[in-house]
Amino acid sequence: MCCCVIALRNTVVPLLAVVAVVTVGCAAPTPAPGEPTPAGDGTELTLADGYEPDDLNPLLGYGAEGASKFYDGLYARDGERNLQPALAAAEATPSPDQRTWTVPLRRGVTFHDGSTLGPEDVVATYRAVLDPDRAATIRSTVPMLTAVEPVGTDAVRFELAHPYGSFPARLTSGILPSEVLEGGGPVSDLPVNTRAVGTGPYSLEEWRRGDTMIMKANERYWGGAPAVKRVTVVFATDDNTRAQRVAAGEFDGTVLPPALAKAVAEQSGMELREHASADYRTISLPFADPVAADPAIRAALNRAVNRQGMVDALLAGQGQPAFHPIPGVLPDQVEPAAEFTYDPAEAARILDEAGWVPGPDGVRARDGRTASFTLMYPATDTIRRDLAQAFASDARAAGIDVRLEGLGWEAIEPRMGRDALVLGGGDPFDPGFKSWQLLHSSNAADGFNNPGSYANPQVDAALDAALRAPDEASRTEQIRAFQRAYAADPGMVFLVFVGHSYVAQDRWDGYVPVVEPHTHGVTWGPWWNLEDWTPKP
Amino acid sequence: MSDSALLTGTHHRRDPGPWRPAGRPRPGSPRGRRTSGRARLLAGASGLVVLVLAAVLVPRLGGLDEGAVDYTAIRLPPSAAHPFGTDSVGRDVLLRSFAGLWVSLQVAAACAVLSTVIGTLFGALSGLLGGWYDRLLMRVVDAVNAVPHLLLGIVIVALYRGSVLAVIASIGLTHWTTVARVVRAEILSLRGRPFVDAAISGGASRMRVLRRHLLPAVVPQAVLSAVLILPHAVWHETALSFLGLGLPPHLASLGTILGEGRQAVLLGSWWIVVFPSLLLAATTLCVAGVGAWWRDRTLPRRRSEQAL
Amino acid sequence: MTAPALPDRRRGRALARLVGLRVLVGVPTVLLVAVAVFLLAAASPFRPVYQYFGVGIFSASDEDIAAAERALGLDGGVFDQLGRWLAGLLTGDLGQSLSMRQPVTQVIVERLPWTLLLAGLALLVSLVLALTAGTVAAWRQGGWFDRVVTTVGHTLEGLPPFVLALGAIAVFAVAWPVLPVAGLTDAGAAPTFAQVGRHVALPAVVLGVSQTPWLVLHVRASLISALDDDHVAGARARGLPETVVVLRHALPTALLPFVTVLGNRLPELVTGAVLVETVFSWPGIAAAVVSAALAVDFPLLAALTLLSAIAVLAGSLVADMTVLLLDPRVDADV
Repeated sequence: MCCCVIALRNTVVPLLAVVAVVTVGCAAPTPAPGEPTPAGDGTELTLADGYEPDDLNPLLGYGAEGASKFYDGLYARDGERNLQPALAAAEATPSPDQRTWTVPLRRGVTFHDGSTLGPEDVVATYRAVLDPDRAATIRSTVPMLTAVEPVGTDAVRFELAHPYGSFPARLTSGILPSEVLEGGGPVSDLPVNTRAVGTGPYSLEEWRRGDTMIMKANERYWGGAPAVKRVTVVFATDDNTRAQRVAAGEFDGTVLPPALAKAVAEQSGMELREHASADYRTISLPFADPVAADPAIRAALNRAVNRQGMVDALLAGQGQPAFHPIPGVLPDQVEPAAEFTYDPAEAARILDEAGWVPGPDGVRARDGRTASFTLMYPATDTIRRDLAQAFASDARAAGIDVRLEGLGWEAIEPRMGRDALVLGGGDPFDPGFKSWQLLHSSNAADGFNNPGSYANPQVDAALDAALRAPDEASRTEQIRAFQRAYAADPGMVFLVFVGHSYVAQDRWDGYVPVVEPHTHGVTWGPWWNLEDWTPKP
Repeated sequence: MSDSALLTGTHHRRDPGPWRPAGRPRPGSPRGRRTSGRARLLAGASGLVVLVLAAVLVPRLGGLDEGAVDYTAIRLPPSAAHPFGTDSVGRDVLLRSFAGLWVSLQVAAACAVLSTVIGTLFGALSGLLGGWYDRLLMRVVDAVNAVPHLLLGIVIVALYRGSVLAVIASIGLTHWTTVARVVRAEILSLRGRPFVDAAISGGASRMRVLRRHLLPAVVPQAVLSAVLILPHAVWHETALSFLGLGLPPHLASLGTILGEGRQAVLLGSWWIVVFPSLLLAATTLCVAGVGAWWRDRTLPRRRSEQAL
Repeated sequence: MTAPALPDRRRGRALARLVGLRVLVGVPTVLLVAVAVFLLAAASPFRPVYQYFGVGIFSASDEDIAAAERALGLDGGVFDQLGRWLAGLLTGDLGQSLSMRQPVTQVIVERLPWTLLLAGLALLVSLVLALTAGTVAAWRQGGWFDRVVTTVGHTLEGLPPFVLALGAIAVFAVAWPVLPVAGLTDAGAAPTFAQVGRHVALPAVVLGVSQTPWLVLHVRASLISALDDDHVAGARARGLPETVVVLRHALPTALLPFVTVLGNRLPELVTGAVLVETVFSWPGIAAAVVSAALAVDFPLLAALTLLSAIAVLAGSLVADMTVLLLDPRVDADV
């Protein structure tokens, strides 16, 4: 009995002691590195991002749509999507045939490493783009460019293969200092991939892959030193995790799927920022697949999907139906005749006429071939997952069996030519050019450009004409012609333009709403012009 | 404390998961309630039959495709038309939960069979070969048991991503150790029996003895183990799918539904989480009830000793 | 009680023998785990170097890939890699985490303390709940409290911890927002005692409660059988008060196996931590398992697997050592 009492004390006391020691030992907190120090004065900002860039190299496409915090292009877009000089001092001057463009450079601009911007930097950057050995992926954004030369000490001249009326709009990609480009070799090997050096309003302080990126204000920024001095971007890929953490007050803002953003804004009292976009989601159909390539299947699918239903139900109303890559935010360029109405009966009629006969399980077949193909979607992207499920459900109702596969990008990319994919892209600045990249036969199977290898001579002709159009009016006319040609034989099933939703703390002045391109994460959003923000008094 | 226990420290973990029911009072003790075993069997078995039938029948009788998206019924609370409500793309949660239960049960059954086959072969081999082989094989069992099963399962699905087979393998390859121990113990106890000696002295080969005399004798044990593994397998599948490492998100399983439930909770749609959770709890409880009765019947004294 | 020196010395020897044997067996066991993990990786269709290149792998040349494999120690056969990895292990170099782009050792050093804090608090919650509820339930066996405890216990057993976590989030993120449901601190706040304390409360309680059912049912069962023991019956017969009988006579007998059970529950605690840390975005090592798996970060996965194996073996050893030290009968058995 005596032993038992001792045993009791001996058991409980050491156990408690062990737990207490463990607890106390841990509770003396070691600040995790990269943990921001508190700043209530609004000079610091912490954002959560659902997407982490692979690299920070503008030649590999980083910040290609502008709004990059580290880099400036020669030109940039303002809130009204008008082109404004950035590193250029003024508008570019074309030669009469529009094949030579001279760009004057801004004086007194310095890079983050202290060197001064000069024509040699712009020339080195664009020569790296032109050099096939350096394998710059943004080459496809300036296909018409053939040469670039310095002009004196403060201008650069671009030579084009053919007249191109809106060439300055192609010059928004970031300029690198010539020093970092020395030595040749693929640009994917440059140290600038992880240590950004640009002229932008923020410089990179630290990038811990998979965790955080810290940017600090460039006090010598040519547009004036930003008032928000330090920006921490925390990477958290899971939407729900970000929603939970931002609602818990951990961040000053983040990007969220529309319904979740609304709920979080309601609960946490943060501002809900909803931006229209030209960011389409489309089902790219592989022309290597005999079912997906069939004209009747493609035509029927375009009439079998309930686009407005998807916008209302899956995007909580935040978006617009998409029939082709030209967004409704540019009403002048949209061809009303190129719309598809949701008409399951018409879809069934097209399939019946083409000989696709419904089988006992409702799935159609023709000549022993079942109307069935595989649709891949990135498994972690909830919007694309929901769209894929809705598309499969609508297709099933029309008698077409769509098998879903949720995969990682590394598994998706090698299969883009063989299987359908929920693809995203688009910008509101130059949608004609975007359409050319996505649907012109010369870009077939070039990565994310035309992955299904769609080829339509009428579409090709209209897009070529649009790119070479001498003025805005004829350009618009050709873009409309393109939409008519595409709608007659659609090579994809465009579903929606997704609106972008964000939640943000309302502690700063300077927010300007903007129509967004297809972007990832928080580079755009309310923070696209962060350098102009000032803390609220 | 036995010597082998002293060596490994893992011998207490015959049953790795949380479904071991409360220790049964000693038989004959004045406080023992002998009725509970039979009641649990009845409740468990009938519950399980109902659940399996529902999992098979509800999606078929529901008249709807569980994957059918309804744009006009997004996140609707439970109603007469949708007794369990609808999810974020307008699918019926009732249909989808039972379809998910069926998928989860199928995956779990495959895992249980895989574990039982591996475990039986491993245990039989270890028990038959004896000596150093036995010791070596038992160290392998210890090594597998030393890593938390979910963690080892995560490693396996990570390395063989994106297939249902990987999920089955990841659960099957982590849960066989219990079976191996049980079968080995059974073989060891059988080896000393006269009928085995007689067979060996009668000139039968080792393989023949194993096939004709030993394996049939351990089959009931192996079947019991397979049943007991079922709830663990369901549990594991849901956990892996919940973490985004298991089945693909569009395929309905209890885990993928609950994985979507994370967002539902933030949006206030409790029904997307509550009903599948109840199904999950009911399933594991029923199987545990059947298993506990089986164990008490076949191993009358072992339970309470294990608890100590 | 007459000659305490002798049992103490025997106890010490038994303890040394226990530790020695466990280390002797534990080292090969951990090695076996390492070999198994490397064999799994070698048989996997996934090439870790893909993770390093990301999407760039499709444009990378064969020479680039080979060079990167050499630099990352991924060239040669599986046993070459294992050998190098084990050699690195001895010098404290666990390789480079591909997804977090920092040394694995640093990942562990930064994240392990947070997991220990969470798990320690959860264990405390679990212990307090299990001991009080289990004792009361056993004492009044068959009463309403006992029925509630056993019913709730059995139900919770069937639910994975993440369901409980979702419930907690539903309550605290949506309905009644008094406690933060995610992260370590508020936005940009330093990890002070108050900050971390508020943020750890919910995950620790959820993890603790999720571990409780099994423990509470165990305490209840062993206490019930202890109450039948002769020495307890004797104490009752001597007319000692019921509280003394239960707390001083029955409970201690029931507690010794409880310590062993606690040590052997460590794998479930780790499993629970993986799920709870993920749901609550707790920056611990267990959540890193999931992110490493999603990114197929093999060096980190391998190191964490080994770490958990060591933790499990150590937990079991500590529990058995405690039993050896406390149980008056054990020294006779050894």
